[in-house]
Amino acid sequence: MSTKAVKKHRRHLSMDRKRSLEALIFLAPWIIGLCLFFIRPIFVSVRLSFSEITRMKGFVMEGVGLQNYQYIFFYDINFVPMFLKTITNTLLNTPICLVFSLVIAILINRPMKGRGFFRAAFFIPVLLGAGYVMKQMLGMGADGATITTGIMVPQLIADLLGHSLTEFLQGVLDRITVVLWKSGVQIVLFLAGLQGISSSLYEAARVDGATEWEMFWKITLPMITPVILMNLVYTIVNFFTDATNPIVDYIYQQSFGNPQQFAHGAAMGWVYFAFAFLLCVIVIGVMRRFVFVSGGKE
Amino acid sequence: MAKRTKSKSKRHGRSFGARFFRGGLLRIAFYFLLATLSFVFLYPFIKMITQSLMTDEDLINITVKWIPSKLTWSNYAIAFRRLQFGTYFWNSFKVAVVGTIGHVFSCSMTGYAFARYKFRFKGALFGLVILSMIVPVQTIIIPQYMQYSNWGWINSPYYLPLLVPAFFGFGLSGGFFIFLFRQFFLGLPYEMEEAARVDGCGPIRTYARIMLPMSQSSLLVCSVLSLVWHWNDYFEPGIYVTDVWLKMLPNRLPSLYAELSKENFTMIQVNDLEGIIFNEAMLMAATFLCIVPILIMYLILQRRFMEGVERSGLTGM
Repeated sequence: MSTKAVKKHRRHLSMDRKRSLEALIFLAPWIIGLCLFFIRPIFVSVRLSFSEITRMKGFVMEGVGLQNYQYIFFYDINFVPMFLKTITNTLLNTPICLVFSLVIAILINRPMKGRGFFRAAFFIPVLLGAGYVMKQMLGMGADGATITTGIMVPQLIADLLGHSLTEFLQGVLDRITVVLWKSGVQIVLFLAGLQGISSSLYEAARVDGATEWEMFWKITLPMITPVILMNLVYTIVNFFTDATNPIVDYIYQQSFGNPQQFAHGAAMGWVYFAFAFLLCVIVIGVMRRFVFVSGGKE
Repeated sequence: MAKRTKSKSKRHGRSFGARFFRGGLLRIAFYFLLATLSFVFLYPFIKMITQSLMTDEDLINITVKWIPSKLTWSNYAIAFRRLQFGTYFWNSFKVAVVGTIGHVFSCSMTGYAFARYKFRFKGALFGLVILSMIVPVQTIIIPQYMQYSNWGWINSPYYLPLLVPAFFGFGLSGGFFIFLFRQFFLGLPYEMEEAARVDGCGPIRTYARIMLPMSQSSLLVCSVLSLVWHWNDYFEPGIYVTDVWLKMLPNRLPSLYAELSKENFTMIQVNDLEGIIFNEAMLMAATFLCIVPILIMYLILQRRFMEGVERSGLTGM
């Protein structure tokens, strides 16, 4: 530090301290945001889940302890089954989503004709948004019929397999279709990760005689574990907060329908969120051991 | 392994799989697979477009599934007027653009701080960032609504509840963008900053003149995603903006659908359209119109966006 700086400050700030103060400049907006927009609503919502609205006007609350939580678990017939269903859906869909998006990312990462087209194509569902537009496209047919899947089991195969097996197969295809529609962002993230792997690694491996299969498992996969983790967290969060989720819809209805239900809605929301958070923490904790950090200062 | 290499020395030690791939058969299969997958992705989109161009006879005619008998572009004209596209487009545009500016501004700063500085509670604070990603809007929507209501922000003509949080690192997926920028800044070499320091730049100048320009790729990624997500958001706008003239496109659409159902049911049309009967095809056209701006923007930026993703350095945690 120049002598000028020392003279200016009455106290001699250490380098660390100085850096911390600098950091504050950049963090300031976010910290303000935290206080204004985040901490208070969260706090109030948590408090709400432990209370009961006694008067609509002015939202007067009264603490009632765990009553709301008891209600949603023991009295409300809808919450627990929906919750379990959502959990199983998420646990099923997430691996499918990640595997598919990784495969697709690898496929379109190769130099080939029409690469730009394919990349645009896979991102289209993201552009269309998850909201009304999508709902309408899925729900409206010219004759009012529902189109829920792009892939239908051909009649011939359906006849061969018999009824229940065909239904199962159709269910699988439906699930895959829905998952694919939601994987646009993951594909993009995987693409980024794949491109970050330097090709010299592959060249060296080829010289040593590695097969494509081996290269995938020994180079590609380990190098993108950080992206896998990011995708995992994002996917879980995405599935959990997806507004077309039956349970999210239910929480929403509860919160905005009958005023008596506000507190229930809050309690449900928090149980739901706590679970999502727990899942993410577990995932991050487990994956930490597998994530290959490619260096760089931190 | 060694045995294989020796016996196939003529083919330079390539594995069977690699040669087969180059042999073209796999390539065909590979294109086929890609095409099938693309179809799944594009299916609703194609369906929507084809439907939007159908005449009303086509809609009733069950033999017509994919190709309309006549390209009824007039559907779009009617949809445009019915939607009052001009007004709502402008509303959506304002919110999306300003919101994106807010995000880019605040999230890049915050990401930079987390990437480049050490400070107390850094871990805990970053945990809060992750938390802001995870907590679903629905959980905190009521207290937020109450708060904004107290401040008089509901139905603000400046869309305050939607825009102000974005300038402070929150708003739609603010946490995600902070994460994104952090990852990127982590990957940049320290030398640039050190050089700037040596030359006497203060922290703000270093950031604005050196680091920001270097992060163009992640700025682009953040902008595109923020624009798209703001444009398509119907939940928060639906709650905070209830005034009919302030609404945005995604919230205008359901009203249009309701109008259609009502007209179909009561057989009474709103008479501003010279007796044209409003039908589903026009509705599809209207739906498509809602996403056309974003589509155009994406097609233009697509190349740069993809390159931006590649250079964002999203490896490494």
